[in-house]
Amino acid sequence: MSKGLWAPRQPPSAWCWNLAWQAGHARAFRLKLQVRVASGQPELPPKQASWTELAKSINNHHPIFPHAFNATMEVLLGITGKDFTLIAASKAAMRGVTILKASDDKTRQLNKHTLMAFNGEAGDTVQFAEYIQANAQLYSMRNDTDLSPSALANFVRGELASSLRSRKPYNVNLLLGGVDPITHKPSLYWLDYLAALAPVPYAAHGYAQYYCLSILDKHHHPDITLVQGMKLLNLCTDELKRRLPIDFKGMIVKAVTKDGIVDMEIDNDKVVKCA
Amino acid sequence: MDTLVAQYSRPAYQQNEVFSEQEQQDLADGVPSLSLKFAMPPVAHPSAWLRAATDDRSNPTCPIKIAHGTTTLAFRFDHGIIVATDSRATAGNWIASQTVKKVIEINSDLLGTMAGGAADCQYWLAWLGMQCRLHELRHKRRISVAAASKILANLVYQYKGMGLSMGTMCAGVTEEEGAALYYIDSDGTRLQGNLFCVGSGQTFAYGVLDAEYRQDLTVEEALELGSRSILAATHRDAYSGGFINLYHVKKEGWVKHGFTDTNPVFWKTKLEKGEFSNVTSDFSGRA
Amino acid sequence: MASGYDRALSVFSPDGHVFQVEYAGEAVKRGTCAVGVKGSDIVVLGCEKRSAMKLQDTRITPSKIGLLDTHVCLAFAGLNADARILVDKARLEAQSHRLNLEDPATIEYITKYVAGVQQRYTQSGGVRPFGLSTLIVGFDKGSQVPRLYQTEPSGIYSAWKANAIGRSSKTVREFLERNYKEDMDREATVRLAIKSLLEVVQTGAKNIEIAIMAPGKTIEMLAVEDIEAHVKNIEQEKQEEAAKKKTGRTPGTGSAAILTRTQES
Repeated sequence: MSKGLWAPRQPPSAWCWNLAWQAGHARAFRLKLQVRVASGQPELPPKQASWTELAKSINNHHPIFPHAFNATMEVLLGITGKDFTLIAASKAAMRGVTILKASDDKTRQLNKHTLMAFNGEAGDTVQFAEYIQANAQLYSMRNDTDLSPSALANFVRGELASSLRSRKPYNVNLLLGGVDPITHKPSLYWLDYLAALAPVPYAAHGYAQYYCLSILDKHHHPDITLVQGMKLLNLCTDELKRRLPIDFKGMIVKAVTKDGIVDMEIDNDKVVKCA
Repeated sequence: MDTLVAQYSRPAYQQNEVFSEQEQQDLADGVPSLSLKFAMPPVAHPSAWLRAATDDRSNPTCPIKIAHGTTTLAFRFDHGIIVATDSRATAGNWIASQTVKKVIEINSDLLGTMAGGAADCQYWLAWLGMQCRLHELRHKRRISVAAASKILANLVYQYKGMGLSMGTMCAGVTEEEGAALYYIDSDGTRLQGNLFCVGSGQTFAYGVLDAEYRQDLTVEEALELGSRSILAATHRDAYSGGFINLYHVKKEGWVKHGFTDTNPVFWKTKLEKGEFSNVTSDFSGRA
Repeated sequence: MASGYDRALSVFSPDGHVFQVEYAGEAVKRGTCAVGVKGSDIVVLGCEKRSAMKLQDTRITPSKIGLLDTHVCLAFAGLNADARILVDKARLEAQSHRLNLEDPATIEYITKYVAGVQQRYTQSGGVRPFGLSTLIVGFDKGSQVPRLYQTEPSGIYSAWKANAIGRSSKTVREFLERNYKEDMDREATVRLAIKSLLEVVQTGAKNIEIAIMAPGKTIEMLAVEDIEAHVKNIEQEKQEEAAKKKTGRTPGTGSAAILTRTQES
């Protein structure tokens, strides 16, 4: 996959603009090469140490990254069961104090059996997800086979890892869920912006983790049916509605099964009262 | 000497000229290099430098004061899209202009709005206009709003963290999409939606607009609502004001509905409808 | 050939030829035949399969018809190996288009891109032109209008109602010119594609591949049994026609169809 599509922010190198990118992207690479410090030396990438500093500061809601706060407020949930993987994402698109959109879809379908949900820095999220999506689809097109969820998860991890060590890393957290096209085994992968990858039976991102993981720890079982999975998901979203200090505008829920990806009904209008 | 002679006595086709990768690309690339040779300040970190030079909140004596502060709105309804903006440009707490055109006519049926850095918006929306025209010439049909907005979003994403400041909306009606409205900002966010307000006065505009927004507004109602929402924002937001710039985007293209001074509109609204009751026009009554 | 003008790619001969490009056209003529036919609501690609060796596994040998994107399909005549590269570039461009402009590319856009790549390889040093002609078919997003384009090694592209490329393409094209009708339904379109291929394919259904594109759908490869049924039907009709002509007033003119075939083999 290394000679596939190129992310708009690949590190500049001589062969970047040989590839079929929209003119604008290629131009921007060139442009970055033109950036020079006053001495005529090219700009140096930041030291790794300062990047870890940056990572720390994001966790502490550093003022430079005001939107990092949003990322933790955006809810991502994933649950596997006997023959399915459920992925849910909150519908609010927030910027500062405003909810810009209450029907945002933070998921992208990678191929027939794999779905990815994402949150994080505005702009980075969609750019990264669509870049991955395009590469997954290109692979399917070229080889007449879909990559398995595990292959995709490892590919995504690799992309995140190289991005992390580049001049401008993607700040994206992901859940990747799917059903293996051959064995029909459901799987779920948890990835964060530091390129950690973990296969898990259930997962969450953001503040939702603090509420939902305990619920899932208690109630999840690997053999649950889709109906039971939805019940479990409702348990989680109810708790989030009860305790999260902001309105995340309900959830979009999708189920991956051996037959593909289907939208699931969920009652977002249900009022949940605190005890 | 012999080799020199040999070099020129050989037929040209036998001198296997080899282009460099770059030259080949330039030859083969049908797209001219346009304006993207945009110079960056010659410093290590353009964004940090820009912030130091332009952030007047932390440094009131900063050398460059970027024109900021705006209210713009756009919403979709059954009869197309309404786009409305104020017209004030401020640099710090100085009102730099009261007659700015914040609606940019990308082409005869695509509109863009500008909030944030005035220069950034003007330049890149004009650039987008050029891209749209080129798309039209290459593909023999109008560009979709989705594609146009994505071109802009991808562009600003290239410059992410380098100090661009834009919050813009693209509105248009096309054959395949119908009425389409997109929000794009310099973070790289791009959202499709029914209703957006952008700028320092956005909250005030949202307040009025959300309350009375419906899909089935008549054109008159929609124009009035758009204009009234901007008025609300100009009244409460110090960085918005001047004139109300009003557009209606229809299938046949956009129609301009005036560039109206807010002052008479405000007094008309107050005196005829009794709104803005916190503002008194009665100078004698109060103690 | 002593003139040497056929040796360098980027040099004209004095009478205005670029010989390498013309030789690429010869490579196309040696390739197996492919046809494309537009119906009223579908578009069909058909091609002659290379006759397989006894031990070759035809089931998994790559086909001459390939998908560029879910809604665009390409068939080629010429050098197989060149096609792989060209198809790969086109697939990459199709995904790039989706990524950059959100919507899938139009058929004309992909065609123009493919032709553009081919053209590029006629104008720079150190490269060889693609020995390929392609037929590109499909439906634009949200459109009901079938599209059929052809590209050539020189980088020319053109739109067609029905066309053939590769070996004996002239015969097939002439057959199509005689038998093409406007507004053919699905059956008629598929039938015409098969019938035209039978003009040059000797071994019948086994060596024919048919792909069908319909609006909003991806490629459908016609099953061998279905092709066989069509072939049988067509042969039967031909025999009946021949018999009718024999019993008719002008015996002796009935073998026209067979005549054209013998010319080609």
